[in-house]
Amino acid sequence: MNLDILLPLELLRPGEWADVAEVTGEASWVGRLAELGLRSGSRLRLLQAGWPCLLQVGGCRLSLRSEQGTQILVRPVAC
Amino acid sequence: MTKVKQQRMDSGLIPASATAEASSPVAALSSGHLRAALIGNPNTGKTTLFNALSGLRQRVGNYPGVTVETKKGQMCCSGQTFELIDLPGTYSLSPRSPDEMVAVDVILGRQQGEARPDVVISIVDASNLERNLYLTTQALELGVPVVVALNMIDVAAAQGIRIDAERLSRQLGVPVVAIQANKKKGLEALREAICRAASGEQSVSTPRLQSTGTCQRPAHRPPLFPEAFERAVQQLHQELGTDVPEYLVRRLVLDVGGWTEQRLVDQLGEGVRRKVQEVRERLAQAGCPVPAIEARVRYGWIREVTAGCIQRPAQRAVTWTDRIDRVLTHKVWGTLIFLVLMFLVFQAIFTWARPVMKGISDAKDALADLLRGPLPPGPLTSLLLDGVLEGVGAVVIFLPQILILFAFIAVLEDCGYMARAAFLMDKLMARCGLSGKSFIPLLSSIACAVPGILATRVIENRRDRLATILVAPLMSCSARLPVYILLIGAFLTGPGFAWWLPGLVMFALYAIGLVLAPLMALLLKRTLLRGETPVFVLEMPLYKIPSLRLVLRRMFDSGWAFLRRAGTLILASMIVVWALLYFPRGGGPEQLPYDVRLAAMQKELDDLKEQEQAGGINPSVLEDKEHQIHALMAEWKRQSYLGRMGKAIEPAVRPLGWDWKIGMAALASFPAREVVIGTLGIIYSAGKQDSDEIREAVNVADTPLARRLKEARWDDDPTRPVFTIPTALSLMVFFALCCQCASTLAVIRRETHSWRWPLFTFTYMTMLAYIGALTVYQIGRFLAG
Repeated sequence: MNLDILLPLELLRPGEWADVAEVTGEASWVGRLAELGLRSGSRLRLLQAGWPCLLQVGGCRLSLRSEQGTQILVRPVAC
Repeated sequence: MTKVKQQRMDSGLIPASATAEASSPVAALSSGHLRAALIGNPNTGKTTLFNALSGLRQRVGNYPGVTVETKKGQMCCSGQTFELIDLPGTYSLSPRSPDEMVAVDVILGRQQGEARPDVVISIVDASNLERNLYLTTQALELGVPVVVALNMIDVAAAQGIRIDAERLSRQLGVPVVAIQANKKKGLEALREAICRAASGEQSVSTPRLQSTGTCQRPAHRPPLFPEAFERAVQQLHQELGTDVPEYLVRRLVLDVGGWTEQRLVDQLGEGVRRKVQEVRERLAQAGCPVPAIEARVRYGWIREVTAGCIQRPAQRAVTWTDRIDRVLTHKVWGTLIFLVLMFLVFQAIFTWARPVMKGISDAKDALADLLRGPLPPGPLTSLLLDGVLEGVGAVVIFLPQILILFAFIAVLEDCGYMARAAFLMDKLMARCGLSGKSFIPLLSSIACAVPGILATRVIENRRDRLATILVAPLMSCSARLPVYILLIGAFLTGPGFAWWLPGLVMFALYAIGLVLAPLMALLLKRTLLRGETPVFVLEMPLYKIPSLRLVLRRMFDSGWAFLRRAGTLILASMIVVWALLYFPRGGGPEQLPYDVRLAAMQKELDDLKEQEQAGGINPSVLEDKEHQIHALMAEWKRQSYLGRMGKAIEPAVRPLGWDWKIGMAALASFPAREVVIGTLGIIYSAGKQDSDEIREAVNVADTPLARRLKEARWDDDPTRPVFTIPTALSLMVFFALCCQCASTLAVIRRETHSWRWPLFTFTYMTMLAYIGALTVYQIGRFLAG
């Protein structure tokens, strides 16, 4: 797998690790996600795909359902 | 301590009212308390710490206009008494709603009637330190000494995470105390640190404030925003005037569309919005884009101050939570377990509460009988027995269901399962514009809307919570059951009806609520409660064993809150309806009032019964007397104010296939649906009927009330029966959809802090009920030919 590509979070496969490259969307929600530790640069693991999906971010698990206009771009990493 | 306050006052950061209180030594002495505010992310053990520090004496309080509650308790430490305020759990002090503003306002001393706290205790989860410190970095900017309580060090240790608290304290610049709140470890050290910090003995710097009203940043002041940002904030601060605290100016710049912006625009005019936009544009050009800058700066600073303090295993250990979650969040197994669990909760609310409720009801009746003997008949006796006692009974009867539901909710929440349940149900609930957190409140409403509405407190999003509250009463609660049973039993069973018809009708009546509630929620979210759909993020906390104390506390709090705040309203509405049914009580020069005559006849009946047991008289005499009593009772109620109101609204209910008696019974059942059974009983001269009798009757069609209903004829056409199948269906549909429940309305009022929403709920549901009943009756009549 080419590890330099950027993917939307939804395309990550369960169990895969990735670094967040960019969180776009309405400013206040980008802020809220950052408070929860989900921001560009943070490493995450997709535990369960779907809508909502289940993520491991830092020391915690987050369930996330993103709406249109909010997008999390990630860069998969081998881990 | 006084010195600290003096400086604060000089800085002009506190509004005059708060300043007067905070700075006056007299006020401080008279209250005699120092104040400590507790903040922290959700699921960090904040409530456990609060309980451990404050003991049993706690008060739950509300601020006007917000739905969250704050708790207050007292803490003693080296001879000083602290007032401890437990602020709602939050991930940040960037307010996006009035609810989130509470914490900021309390800490800034801007909350009406609250003095500014002398110290802020920031509780952080050691197993997830960096993210938790985000909130702490914001607290550090508020100008109040901060003490960090490093909780769950045991959980962190189990994951191989070790934290050097002493070093962290040095690098962070504030006291850091390692604790285990659930095991009460480290609390003594924490108390001492709080005491020292509050009395100004903090070894590390708090911001030094100058009398000019601007803030000179000490070398230590965390975290360092770029110079351009600080300059822009200072400039904006001067433009807005110094009575806006500096912290709020920072929030104004950083929170795009946040609550600070909305509030300041309301206060100072649209000019503020333009100004802030300019500032943000300038900042973006200067390389400080809002809001990205905040996370970058704060996390950057957190990385610096935690450097060398945290030891982590190279590979994250697989925890128990991971293993349990593999099953509990599994799409198939997890959902199955959740459904079974919900069934158990539901069944418990229905069955465990039933005997207790019956006990309460029996005790109430016994007490009424006991009092009725010695008291003379008259308005006061009736007010006491039929008004107050019935009203109190109607309030207390809800307690078993509320306590059982809240015991379950507290256990599920405290052990960490609730978040998983919300995750599993989210997809389904998202279809009707809600989130997974609305599922349990809506489901509990099938047992009773009152605990269901109280359970919406787990929903943080204000619009989602309101939408859930407004549609919860549409779910078919257990109080509707007697109405369904009576009417189905009387009109849709027996020869000539298919055996499956009663079940089908019952199912349909329940389905009405199950289908309409989500649709209504969707409609509300698209219209009245429109707003951008929030990104649904939910933290899955670590599993832990629930604390019995917390569960009991939660049960007690919810029960008490219901009794005190909703109970009074329910009681009041019961008394109003009692008065409307009691007056006028008749009587004049020739005749005694109805109730006196009834009491006399009842006594005669009791005497006759005794004679009958002795075998002295014919049973038919007894029956005659009973009929006379029922007829007189009916006559009295028909001429009561409520009876007259029933006649007045007859034109309105005629299209539903109702006569004025049904209309009146519907009016009388405003405080509680099940009252309709009793009123129908009285008005159709069948005597007083208990909804439990209907529920427990082996053959409903054989009860006196059912027989009377079948015999009922229209006043203007004595050949035509009132209750036809379309009329019975129309009445059932009406009761399925209406909000004839003062308790529900009182709870909505309590939870939304406004009369607007209970009024709205009552209006929309009554309209829906009327339209539903009308449609059913007219179609039914058309089909019946």
